[in-house]
Amino acid sequence: MSLPEIAFALLAAVAVVTAIAALLVRELVHTILWVAVFFVDLAAIYFLLEAPFLGVLQLGVYAGAVTILLLFGVMVTRKRIFSREAATGIGPVAVALALLTVVFVGTGLGELPQGEVTIRAYDPSTLSVNLFGPNGAWLLLLGLIMLAAVSGAIFLVREGRE
Amino acid sequence: MDALAMAAPFAPELVLLAAALLVFLLDVLGVRHLEALGAIGTAATGTSLLLVIADLGFGPLGALRTLGASHLDAVPAPGTAPLYAFSSFGLVFQGLFLLAAFLVSLASLSRPSHERGAAVFFGLLLLATLGMLLVAIASDLIFLLLAIELTSIASYILVGYTRRDPRSLEAAMKFYIIGALSSTLSFFGASLLFGAYGTTNLYAIRASAGAVGYPVLALLGFGFLLAGLAFKTTLVPFHAWAVDVYDGAPSDVSAFLAGGTKKIGVFAFFLVFLGPVLYLRGTGGANPFAGPPFDIGPVVQVTLAVVAVLTMTVGNVLALLQREMKRMLAYSSISQAGYILIGVTIGTAPALAGATLQVLAHVLMKSGAFLVVAAVAGLGVGPLIDDWRGLGARRPALSVAFALMLLSLAGVPLTVGFVSKFVLFSAAVQAQGLFVWLAVAGLLNSALSVFYYGRVLKAIFFDPATPTPAPSGAAMGAAGPPPLGAGGIGYARAAAIGLIAVAIVALGLYPQPVLGAIQSAATHFVAGGA
Amino acid sequence: MTTLGPTGFLALSSALLGIGLFGILTRRNFVLLLISIEIATNAAILNFVYFAAFAPSAPLGISGQSIAVVLVGFAATEVAVGLAIVLALNRAKGTINVAEVTELKS
Repeated sequence: MSLPEIAFALLAAVAVVTAIAALLVRELVHTILWVAVFFVDLAAIYFLLEAPFLGVLQLGVYAGAVTILLLFGVMVTRKRIFSREAATGIGPVAVALALLTVVFVGTGLGELPQGEVTIRAYDPSTLSVNLFGPNGAWLLLLGLIMLAAVSGAIFLVREGRE
Repeated sequence: MDALAMAAPFAPELVLLAAALLVFLLDVLGVRHLEALGAIGTAATGTSLLLVIADLGFGPLGALRTLGASHLDAVPAPGTAPLYAFSSFGLVFQGLFLLAAFLVSLASLSRPSHERGAAVFFGLLLLATLGMLLVAIASDLIFLLLAIELTSIASYILVGYTRRDPRSLEAAMKFYIIGALSSTLSFFGASLLFGAYGTTNLYAIRASAGAVGYPVLALLGFGFLLAGLAFKTTLVPFHAWAVDVYDGAPSDVSAFLAGGTKKIGVFAFFLVFLGPVLYLRGTGGANPFAGPPFDIGPVVQVTLAVVAVLTMTVGNVLALLQREMKRMLAYSSISQAGYILIGVTIGTAPALAGATLQVLAHVLMKSGAFLVVAAVAGLGVGPLIDDWRGLGARRPALSVAFALMLLSLAGVPLTVGFVSKFVLFSAAVQAQGLFVWLAVAGLLNSALSVFYYGRVLKAIFFDPATPTPAPSGAAMGAAGPPPLGAGGIGYARAAAIGLIAVAIVALGLYPQPVLGAIQSAATHFVAGGA
Repeated sequence: MTTLGPTGFLALSSALLGIGLFGILTRRNFVLLLISIEIATNAAILNFVYFAAFAPSAPLGISGQSIAVVLVGFAATEVAVGLAIVLALNRAKGTINVAEVTELKS
């Protein structure tokens, strides 16, 4: 195995373990910690895939902002609504369904080119030309989504007089 | 001038965006009257609707036409991958979306005017409608999914709009979780398609699928997309959330969800499964999905057919068991999605026209029914069907309008619901083979639905009124002074309901002009446009 | 120039999607549900990034990274809306003192 392959295997193992741990630990604050590790780990995978811009974005948005938001949500809603206890009756069904998904998607594996492939690197300027040029409509739509989300979220949490 | 010419085709979308921004701006400036903001919303959706009708080439509105006839149904040059394209079929759906938004916006002018947050209500209504319009012009998977998300995010908030009412917020939460799950599945499906074909453009995917067939990755991608869109369209087995959401949401928003936003899933089905991707164009319909490495056409069609029959039946049977009006209407809405899916399954031009007409009928009937529920709740009638007893004597006009909507839902002749089902089922019979059974299943389900609609009509017109206790303030949610006019219903809401009732009968008696436009658009869609 | 075998990536993303679906089906805590959805969304983003990395040609691949950028922004927006809903619900339940968690049937 080459060095990048070993690195990827390690990072992938960490991603799977942290994702499972985040959903299984008893204490919600620990969950957030595991999720933070998961997000940082994914950022490392993006760097490995020579997508440094996405790696930085992952660190800033996911490992930074989303983690803080989740932590905030845990603090504010703690033990007020939603049972803490995790499992419900459909545990085995869910596990089976999840495994089935993995198997299904895994069958696509055989289609990919086997063996080692050179990773295509894009420098951030090419990315930005694409993002603001031919595919600019995606960013416009994202902006509209954020407009709706921000105005709605402010409305929902504002302490207004009725 | 160049920028103006570039922006002109987007006039309907830009009107909505400008109105939404204006509403938010006025809110910041301190103009918070529900009537003023609502008038902007109603005017914008109405204007946009006129612009879309003009773009479709409706003669008398020719002066308003902003989209050149040459742009309509233009096939993009090979090698280009546009994110959007204007098709007459898409414009027809834009018109339907705008019709739903206009009716809901008009009726919402009669919401209690002491309510806080009118700007958010109408602003998000406009943004959600904008998302729906963008869905109808999408020709790229990511553009399509992001436009769906714009509508979804705005409607999560709209469902929780009565933010002091835990029922409304709980419905918003359920809607949010299901919506987020479905968008995740859809994006995962899109990522697999991107992996299989190296593009997310629907035209390019179609071209590659013609060349390299359907690798396993692509099949999985279509599967995930099917699941994600099925959530949005409330197809069985992904339907359970819809009842709780429609039940808990404010009734005006339920009208918008059932009559409006749900239909974007239908259009996405057309785009993804019949449009540039798995399209049968040019194959003479003999073996539509044939292609290396193996033929997936029958698999897709059988899956869709089974889902359609299940959706119709499950929705109808569960509707039969409901005692609450809104839950009954929600289940009937699920079964209607099954009828519409018949059109997607068959995929011929007449079937597409029938499905589109069914969507139009459903926009009128279901938003109308939920608007009546909102009006009746404002009169202090409880949520149970039994609470509606004797309404026919107390409010004859309102009851007759509601009866028309239910009769149309059941597919009784002289209503638009009959015409749409007739066109749809005869298309199924025309397509022959196993499709005939789809028509049979649809007819049996229509017969079944007569029972529960009939039960409601019996309660309204023939059962003696039960003395209803005065509604308590808490049970009514934000109980304020009733809106002025039309006996406590509000002029605007009465106008919206009246318009719908007239349209149901008018289209039932004389559907030719609308049917003709829909048929020609569907033929374009099948023949080679977008 | 890094070289890597592409098969492991699909295994990773399908595993993450499976974990996310498992969480969505079994967890009842809202924050855990949000996290499950985020894990599954990250699987889709990861897909786009490595399909871009293994794309046959650069023009085909670059839009994969663009999509990933847009999706990261979208996912963060979605989390914010979810938290706003749950905060409002938390307050509504708190102020009117409803003991039971679910009012809507089923």
